[in-house]
Amino acid sequence: MKLLSKYNRLNIFVTIVVLLLSAVFYYFFIKAVLIHQLDKNLLVEERELKDYVKEENQLPEPSNYKDEQEVYSQINDSQIIRRFSSIDVFNKEHDENISYRQLEFPVMVAGKMYRIDVRKSQEETEDLIQLILEITLAMVLILLITLFIINRFVLNKLWSPFNSTLNQIKKFNVSGTNDIYFQLTDINEFKELNGAVYTMTKRASHDYNEIKSFTENASHEIQTPLAIIKSKLELLSQGESLKEEQMDTIQSIYETTNRLSKLNQSLILLTKIDNRQFHEKEEVNLSTIVHNHLNNYEELIAAKLIAVTKNIEDNITVTMNEMLADILISNLITNAIKHNIDNGSIDVTLNKHFFIISNSGIELDAHPAELFERFKKDKVNSDSLGLGLSIVKKICDTYGFSVLYEYAGGMHIVSIQLS
Amino acid sequence: MKILIVEDEKELSESIATYLKGEDYVCEVASSFNKAIEKTELYDYDCILLDITIPGGSGLDILRELKANNKMDGVLIISARNSLDDKVTGLTLGADDYLPKPFHLSELSARVAAIIRRKNFDGNDLLQFQNISIDIRAKSVSVNNKTIELTKKEYELLLYFVSNKKRVISKNAIAEHLWGDDMEGNNDFIYTHIKNLRKKLMDAGDTDYIKSVYGMGYKFSDT
Repeated sequence: MKLLSKYNRLNIFVTIVVLLLSAVFYYFFIKAVLIHQLDKNLLVEERELKDYVKEENQLPEPSNYKDEQEVYSQINDSQIIRRFSSIDVFNKEHDENISYRQLEFPVMVAGKMYRIDVRKSQEETEDLIQLILEITLAMVLILLITLFIINRFVLNKLWSPFNSTLNQIKKFNVSGTNDIYFQLTDINEFKELNGAVYTMTKRASHDYNEIKSFTENASHEIQTPLAIIKSKLELLSQGESLKEEQMDTIQSIYETTNRLSKLNQSLILLTKIDNRQFHEKEEVNLSTIVHNHLNNYEELIAAKLIAVTKNIEDNITVTMNEMLADILISNLITNAIKHNIDNGSIDVTLNKHFFIISNSGIELDAHPAELFERFKKDKVNSDSLGLGLSIVKKICDTYGFSVLYEYAGGMHIVSIQLS
Repeated sequence: MKILIVEDEKELSESIATYLKGEDYVCEVASSFNKAIEKTELYDYDCILLDITIPGGSGLDILRELKANNKMDGVLIISARNSLDDKVTGLTLGADDYLPKPFHLSELSARVAAIIRRKNFDGNDLLQFQNISIDIRAKSVSVNNKTIELTKKEYELLLYFVSNKKRVISKNAIAEHLWGDDMEGNNDFIYTHIKNLRKKLMDAGDTDYIKSVYGMGYKFSDT
């Protein structure tokens, strides 16, 4: 739930409760005030009537209007109590009940006891109360509309520096070169947030660059001695008077050095993929890459008498780094050749959804899931570095492709789901 | 043919120089930025081997300097930083090729030869070794004036041998040259390949120049 809607929900609930409570309070308060006013008027009527009786010694003509009535009735009992009350009287003329405020009191006229009811209509009061209710409802409505407008236009604008910062954070890439830019704001909380984000991203970029240059330096430092060893061995092997065992030794050192340098290169590649240093993306034509690599290894395939079945649809494209696409395909195809048997087969399938490469070969001891881990390899082929498939996995992970290995019917099958 | 090696690792530049001298190149070494600038200003080279990280500056700046002065020297960047950025920058600045360290000296020699061939065409596209002549432009090979049909890889292999005459070339180096880095491991398939090339050359009446060297690889030699 958005902070805004949560806040609004609470705000609206409290406002409506307060408005309704105050409406109830208003109702009773104003009713009491108005009735008090009516009672005062009734007292005035009483005094006027009593004055009239004192002077004239008779009752005045009773008035009988809709908003004011006087009713006289002769009584024997003098026990009548002077009191105010609210009553409903049926009005024939209007065919409805009308509420009145009434004052009853006894009056002695010419020795006879009368009960006098003086009434004043409460209709105005009720009208007033109804008006108050309507106003309250209207205010609730206006409040809701105002909140909606504030949400829609004002608050969104108020929060826009926050949203802009959030977008910048989402887009932030430690390996990217462009800095984060914040929308100017005079709100302290946002200023503080932007400051903290700025410091954090600066530090992340700085640390990242440190690690990146460390990796590069480390690779540099290791490759140079390797280059020296390799070149010296190559010069040494030019010697005319070498004995066979010396040649064997040189060759063995030479091959080990090669392995070491390939290992180093592969580890650097994995680190680079991890660090997202291959962030340039483009539409890559996988069909072309697959064909190119199959052509490149044509002789090797022929040398092992491997039959290749191609099910490659034309112009299958994916959005990824071209170099990584090349490494991915090349790794899988060379694997399929290297781990194949003589007179074996390779099936390559490429369509919109899948790239599947399968090759004949002996079943592996290793667990299929472990094959994608670094340095997991089968005992049979100790020449391989054990990094090829983890590079494949890493590349697939980078682009959200799922990759699966299975062994079925004498075939090693690696399938990559492209979409 | 004059070659300048800009490389601060003395051991490496010495190895390179020793190997290339065997190919009848005259090699000079510059071990720092200033020395390299000095030499390139004074002399013209057929090919400059340029390390990017050298004391006193960046190899890329030397490249910029060369291009600013309209020098026609061929440039091969040899860098330990196998980073795509450097490669792209280098080639954009006008370098002819890029070879990451560590490399095989035979590979380096083949690349240098290719650059020099491209620079010094002089209307002569023919590369001659005894009675084998290779037409670089048409990518065709003839023995005793008889054209022989070679596959693309066989042609590349022959060219590689000719660029490394009388040298022991390891099977690894050959495999990497022909198929790239990914074919590590078993190099037995090279044998089939060499056999095919040798057969085609000998069928055309040539002597067998390809000699296998025990345990190590092959040597292309007329002696």
